[in-house]
Amino acid sequence: MNKLLYAAVTGRFGAILLHIIIILGVPHFTGRDAYTRVTSEGVPFVFHALSARPDSVGLSSIDPYLRVAVCHFDIERQPLSLVALGGDVDFWSVAIYDRDANEVFSMNDRTSVAGDLDVLVATPVQVAQLRKTPIAALAETILVEHPGTEGYVVLRVLAPQASYEPEARAFLAEAECLPFTGR
Amino acid sequence: MFRAPLIIAIALIIAFAGGVLSALSMLNASVGFGAIEVAGWRAFPAAQMASADPYAKAHRAKGGRLLYGSAEGLQFSALRDAEGLTLTGTCSYRMSGRTPTTRLWTLYAADAEGNPLNAGPELPTAKNSQTVLRRRDGSFDIVISRTAKAGNWLAIPDTGAFQLVLTLLDTPAAASTGLSGLSMPVIEQIGCGQ
Repeated sequence: MNKLLYAAVTGRFGAILLHIIIILGVPHFTGRDAYTRVTSEGVPFVFHALSARPDSVGLSSIDPYLRVAVCHFDIERQPLSLVALGGDVDFWSVAIYDRDANEVFSMNDRTSVAGDLDVLVATPVQVAQLRKTPIAALAETILVEHPGTEGYVVLRVLAPQASYEPEARAFLAEAECLPFTGR
Repeated sequence: MFRAPLIIAIALIIAFAGGVLSALSMLNASVGFGAIEVAGWRAFPAAQMASADPYAKAHRAKGGRLLYGSAEGLQFSALRDAEGLTLTGTCSYRMSGRTPTTRLWTLYAADAEGNPLNAGPELPTAKNSQTVLRRRDGSFDIVISRTAKAGNWLAIPDTGAFQLVLTLLDTPAAASTGLSGLSMPVIEQIGCGQ
């Protein structure tokens, strides 16, 4: 009887240990986390517009009033430039995530300069270089320091009624997610 | 003579079954710690952050969804009505009150995974702050039912359990700790069956 109790206590300790290992290990092994899904959408440095229904990798815009586009990037060699003109839409928002889906930066049209998206995502070294030799064309650009080199961008735009659909689609279609090569 | 292997087997079974089942149930049950709960509505303002707890990180890696950044919005979901009963498609509900301060909001009914339910073409399956009819003081009533209702009607299909998803876009509530008073609309059941 004593030995049985001992076995139960040992088993419980093992269970706690395994629980911790599984919870900490899941993010590395799911294979269907947001970054993997976004990279399966297609080539990097292009905004891929999502549809209302889940596509082959399981991504969709979900909210009936939001149109969503995603773009993944690797800024090891060059920073990433995000540009979009928000003239015709009521609301847009952008969020930049690293490859573990941690939020790096997010903003919406009210927190932008003149309602347009103009963000440069760079590694700390690239940010230091850009600060050393300021480029006049980047005077109104928001500089975002990205902790790693890989990540993804989610761009959302509101279409509160069906008649706003063309403007929302055009906003996503004209949005740029390109490597920065100087302006 | 078989006592020692039996005891070792019991310890191993408890360890593996207990570890795997408890981890799975935690992953399915919760999105992690740090939830804001107001009047049956639940939100996780820190789920997408680097400082999120390991349960939140495991959950978001398993779900693989595109979460809202803190400057984008905050998503609340309600699985139960004001009396604590599960929302079900065979009943009708009235959602009344007002939302926390926010620039815009959207509301839709979703299944357990969070995918929007489709009640049928040409039916109002979602509402937003620009299309909802309001009272003079800015508050609103939305009736959630599978049969047509006057006023604000949110159509749901005749399914089992569902959840209501209220997304606040560009809201100071995203920085909320849940301690300050957020006022959320109340969901009451107003009848079941035919």
